[in-house]
Amino acid sequence: MTTNNHVSLLQLENVTAGYGAGLVLKGVDLTVEAGQIVCLIGPNGAGKSTVLKTISGLLGIKSGAVRFNGEEISALTSRQRLSKGIVHVPQDRSLFPAMSVWENVLMGAFIISDQKLINKRIELAAELFPIILERKSAMAGSLSGGEQKQVEIARSLMLDPTIILLDEPSIGLDPKSRKLVFESIRSLASAGRTILLVEQNARSGLAVSDQGAVLESGKVALVGTGQSLLTDPEVSRLYLGASAK
Amino acid sequence: MHLVIQALILGSLTGGVYALMASGQTLIFGIMKVINLAQGAFVIVASYFTFSLFQMTGLDPFLLIVITTPIMFILGAATQWFLLRPLRPDDAAELSLLVTFAVALGLEGALSIVYKTTLRSIMPGYENHSWTIWGYQVNEVRFYAFLLSIAMLVILYVLLQKTKFGRSVRATVQNPMAAQLLGVNSKAVSAFGFGLGVSTTAAAGAVFGLITPFNPGSHYDLISRLLTIVVLGGMGAIGGSVIAALMMGVGAALVSALASPIWADFTFFIVLLLVLLLRPRGLFGAKVRGAL
Repeated sequence: MTTNNHVSLLQLENVTAGYGAGLVLKGVDLTVEAGQIVCLIGPNGAGKSTVLKTISGLLGIKSGAVRFNGEEISALTSRQRLSKGIVHVPQDRSLFPAMSVWENVLMGAFIISDQKLINKRIELAAELFPIILERKSAMAGSLSGGEQKQVEIARSLMLDPTIILLDEPSIGLDPKSRKLVFESIRSLASAGRTILLVEQNARSGLAVSDQGAVLESGKVALVGTGQSLLTDPEVSRLYLGASAK
Repeated sequence: MHLVIQALILGSLTGGVYALMASGQTLIFGIMKVINLAQGAFVIVASYFTFSLFQMTGLDPFLLIVITTPIMFILGAATQWFLLRPLRPDDAAELSLLVTFAVALGLEGALSIVYKTTLRSIMPGYENHSWTIWGYQVNEVRFYAFLLSIAMLVILYVLLQKTKFGRSVRATVQNPMAAQLLGVNSKAVSAFGFGLGVSTTAAAGAVFGLITPFNPGSHYDLISRLLTIVVLGGMGAIGGSVIAALMMGVGAALVSALASPIWADFTFFIVLLLVLLLRPRGLFGAKVRGAL
């Protein structure tokens, strides 16, 4: 929200977007404040992943505006948005399976040429995710799903991002790995990162989030704190798989 | 036995040359999933460039590779940028077959206009020299060509495995969307990768012109051999294509020595058919996509 002198970190204003002639997003309004974890939930096909793609520049918008720190970024390329600190960890496993963990992490710093800075970032990322040093020579494809997701998130830290867009980080993971991933998200938040999280596992997603938003049929239907959405009877019935108590 | 060992020596040296040609073809397939039917024609173009430059300057054909490599790189990158990049992603794999075949025919036509269809050879004076080692003949040109192939393959390996550009190429092969999200310009990588794949034809073309008389139509024979090697090695696996090239070089030389040179050519087609029927992913086909 942009009121008086306050500028939100990320703001989507009446964004429409889609593939070909069809629209997936039909006027999305969403605000993310710095330092928050915001979780986007909703049914399959509501457009949650598409929202993230319009923010990272993987998909252009048809109308509306995407603002970052008050600046309109809709026309910028993925790389330009990356250099502004917007990092997107997509839903599908985004590691390079035939490259080592070390090479994968280095790819996270692809747009940086200062080797000292890269080394420093690796050290910082390794404090949160020691796996990148412990398994540095292992092929990324040989790691378990949970380990891969940790490396993906660690890699996203290489650019010291202002905001991390996490798309379904727990999808396809066993309960133990899932727990590890949500712990990682909490660690990132403790380190002051802003996170926009898309999560099918709505209960876990909202539980770690400051704010939540429900996306339905390409529009934001409901916003609130993570806790308020967790206890909302309608949200609970539709997305949490149980009645609110 | 003497004949067999002689055939092994000749086949290994010839296989090295094929390895060079096939590694470029494999690189292109690995990066873009494009089966480049023009790779043989690019080799012939490089042979003609070397032929003309040799006639003009008198410089050694192996030295001329320094000049022809960037030319072939530009030709390859331009082909990708202007003819393959505009293809719709959904149809690109199929249409690129037609486009690269059209490029091959176009190059053949252009060469026929400029050079006619007369068979040419690059003859620096040592093309028929041989060394005799323990009673076996080792052709000088083929030996140099073999060394050159090894050098080029080492350069290609270092470029792909040890440099930032190489990492971006491998990343694009394995996960194009993730690579883009990390700031890799996949369009530029594709053009550069195609150019790099075609640039290997500069060395291959020089060597081919030294060991074989050629004319604009020679690419048909070359491309069928290259496809066999790439399929046998495993589409997209550079190491596999090198081993397959050596196997085919030795195999064809043995058949040629023990049966007939006519059957040597046929060997490639039989192997191609058998691999496609029995092991379509080839001998060393990457289990993980993009394990160049």
